[in-house]
Amino acid sequence: MKTKHIQHLYRRIGFGILPATLNKLSKKSEKAIINEMFESSKKFTPLEIDISELTAIYSSIIKKESTLDSETRKKLQQLGRKKQIEFNIAWVDRLTNTPEILREKMTLFWANHFVCEDSTISYIKNFNNTLRKHALGDFRAFVNAVSKEASMTKYLNTKQNKKQKPNENFARELMELFTLGVGYYSEEDIKESAKAFTGYSHNLKGDFVFRKARHDDGEKTFFGKTGNFSGEDIIDIILEQKQCAKYICGKIYRYFVNDLIDENHVNEMANVFYKDYNIENVMRYMLTSGWFYNDQNIGSKIKSPIEFIVGLKTIVPTDFKNPKQLLYIQKLLGQILLNPPNVAGWKGGKSWIDSNTIVLRLKLPSLLLNNAYISKEKLGEVDEYAQAKKEAFKKKYGKRFKTVANWEYFNTQFKNVAISDFQKHVLACEVSESAKAYLQSLEKVSKKEYCVQLMSLPEYQMC
Amino acid sequence: MDRRKFLKQSSLASSLFFVPSFVRAFEEVASSKLGYKRLVIIQLSGGNDGLNTVIPYRNDVYYKARPTLGIPQKDIIKLNDEVGLNSSLKPLKRLYDKGYLSIINNVGYPNPIRSHFRSMDIWQTATDANTYSQSGWIGRYLDHYGKQPHSAIEVDESLSLAMKGEQFNAIATQDAKAFYNLSKDPYFKNIHKHKNDAHLSEHNLGYLYKSMIAAESSAKYIFETSKTVTSKKEYPNNKFGKQMKTTAQFINSRIETKVFYTSLGGFDTHVNQLNTQKRLLSNYAESVEAFVEDLKDNNTFKDTLILTFSEFGRRVKQNASIGTDHGTANNVFIIGENLKKQGLYNTMASLSDLDDNGDLKFEIDFRTIYATVLDKWLEVDNKKVLNTSFNPLDFI
Repeated sequence: MKTKHIQHLYRRIGFGILPATLNKLSKKSEKAIINEMFESSKKFTPLEIDISELTAIYSSIIKKESTLDSETRKKLQQLGRKKQIEFNIAWVDRLTNTPEILREKMTLFWANHFVCEDSTISYIKNFNNTLRKHALGDFRAFVNAVSKEASMTKYLNTKQNKKQKPNENFARELMELFTLGVGYYSEEDIKESAKAFTGYSHNLKGDFVFRKARHDDGEKTFFGKTGNFSGEDIIDIILEQKQCAKYICGKIYRYFVNDLIDENHVNEMANVFYKDYNIENVMRYMLTSGWFYNDQNIGSKIKSPIEFIVGLKTIVPTDFKNPKQLLYIQKLLGQILLNPPNVAGWKGGKSWIDSNTIVLRLKLPSLLLNNAYISKEKLGEVDEYAQAKKEAFKKKYGKRFKTVANWEYFNTQFKNVAISDFQKHVLACEVSESAKAYLQSLEKVSKKEYCVQLMSLPEYQMC
Repeated sequence: MDRRKFLKQSSLASSLFFVPSFVRAFEEVASSKLGYKRLVIIQLSGGNDGLNTVIPYRNDVYYKARPTLGIPQKDIIKLNDEVGLNSSLKPLKRLYDKGYLSIINNVGYPNPIRSHFRSMDIWQTATDANTYSQSGWIGRYLDHYGKQPHSAIEVDESLSLAMKGEQFNAIATQDAKAFYNLSKDPYFKNIHKHKNDAHLSEHNLGYLYKSMIAAESSAKYIFETSKTVTSKKEYPNNKFGKQMKTTAQFINSRIETKVFYTSLGGFDTHVNQLNTQKRLLSNYAESVEAFVEDLKDNNTFKDTLILTFSEFGRRVKQNASIGTDHGTANNVFIIGENLKKQGLYNTMASLSDLDDNGDLKFEIDFRTIYATVLDKWLEVDNKKVLNTSFNPLDFI
């Protein structure tokens, strides 16, 4: 397989690829590479953090050994917040270091499809692992699992959805955001399907509980069919609509291929997906399609903040001395994992970029990796003050971001890469004429300084 | 004007050269002589207890529902025979006496949501309770009427959804100098020396370059314009006080920004509410009074309107921890010099006709307030921003 195409593949199904791995893969065929990729994502490794302290408190409440007084409540809240941060960081770490690359990237994709938020860490942890578990599996089972997650029944009020007093929130978003898209159902469909989801709830542990007494087991008329439908039946009827396959494939296409839709390509995918709603199959179809590797699809997408951060860490491993700063950067860049704006999720694409985020994105590589210094040494000249400048910057910005960049790892990884080949390892697209001319006028002081220069370009925002 | 057009114009400032001079002369008159109206939004996060802010002190139901949380009559700053203010709002009373304050009671929306997160989302996106939007109302105002990224500024480090449009976002900055410093590395200037590069028209990469150029120019503009003014006014020495001071500095420098967004958090008073709320309201009122005086000293108050809201009010009945739980309708404060309706805009909510949760039934949809501000103050078509037409009120 062509190195250019392997790089493209890995930038989309992961966060980039290092020279040694690329070298190894380039000797293999496309088929072999893609087979191996799915093979290594067969496994499912739940993302875990230690929440025993919290569960101990909960179980003593369940056993009635203690009560949920205001002090316990406060403690639970504080611990919960701490654990949310821990889980966020564990997730970023997972994305940076995992053999199950495709599964993890898909998990990130689904997290912005089945959008959910919950301050109860044990519930949101389960939810997150449900995304991971079904990421490449059967979409029907996936939707059903999501509909029964404690976090989801809380987030979209299925918990409050009772026969006597229906709450339509989940039914509406199920169709609008999770399966069909706006305009492919009626208000009547929402009303009727909401009845089918009455009684969905959970216990304190977070397990799904079906409260029969609250369930409306009368007849419902949904998409022209009438019957005593359950929630599962409703999902079956939704999946009978070809629009569902089209909607999901459109979203996958925008995320993995191009934010400008090619109707023909999406229809091809939808035909594959509609057959069995198997996510792996449609992904395999997409990744082996000739059009996936068309030039107009390479380096044409704007990285999400998480893709930006994890991609940077992939090339130069970077540790945050104060892990909260990693969340702070996510906030400034506009995407805090586990903390979506609302159930519609992040809009993505161009909307990642505004005056604040572009300025920060351009400056962040130098801030995190090189004491805010971007080398501007002219060809043949030596900036005697480079070191002094770095020291000064360090004083000025050091407090904001305490990071340790592992340049040794970088140097080992890039040892055999000629400086003339270096650019295509860091950037996914061609460099604009003026940036190219400027870079050519500068001294290539070292691979490290050159790397920081390349990462400080608008081109580095592309994947 | 769409984003592409304005970017073209802002990055090619020299094109102004070709504008006939009489047109330019007219534009200058339009912006400096006719008054450049600005809107300042203050968000009280956490759900401020409106009933202990603007208090129906003659209403027995109030004291019955709040036996230990109701504020005694003697502590209330009376506005009339029925209604008074929390004792920490003395500075606000002074604004009220001057006719600068309009209190709109019982503001909310149909099918109220009692989650902070979601209700704030509704206020910021100006949607129905069952609709989710990825853009905010000020953001959509910018989509249609924004001229520069700095046409709206959030005085904070990152943007709220309210300030993000479908195509266009505001700028967040609480420190114009730091933002400018971040943007001005000569490296960035040098990579886009040739303005007519073909890549500028490319779909995504072109957008990145244009955003970079616009951001550099806005950062420089905000810093260089605002540094010409320093405020001598004393503000409360805390985050909100500083936000208001920075906002005043921006406005008094005559920066071309139509909307400023600030916020004060901590209003989620489930437990021992009295002192917490008192402290917060007093910070709010002192900061706002300093802000108004600061603007008056610089002759900019007449062109500034301040809108204060919170995502919901709180339950009429107090809870077991001398606090209150999440409720529904709430009051909105409008502060300005030329209000059409000064003082109390409408009567207070009924405390006996409540919904199933024991919460107030709203009377005024908050989007009619937005519509009023858009139509009558910012002088634009509210329907374009709110997507539905709302009939404006007549407080301005």
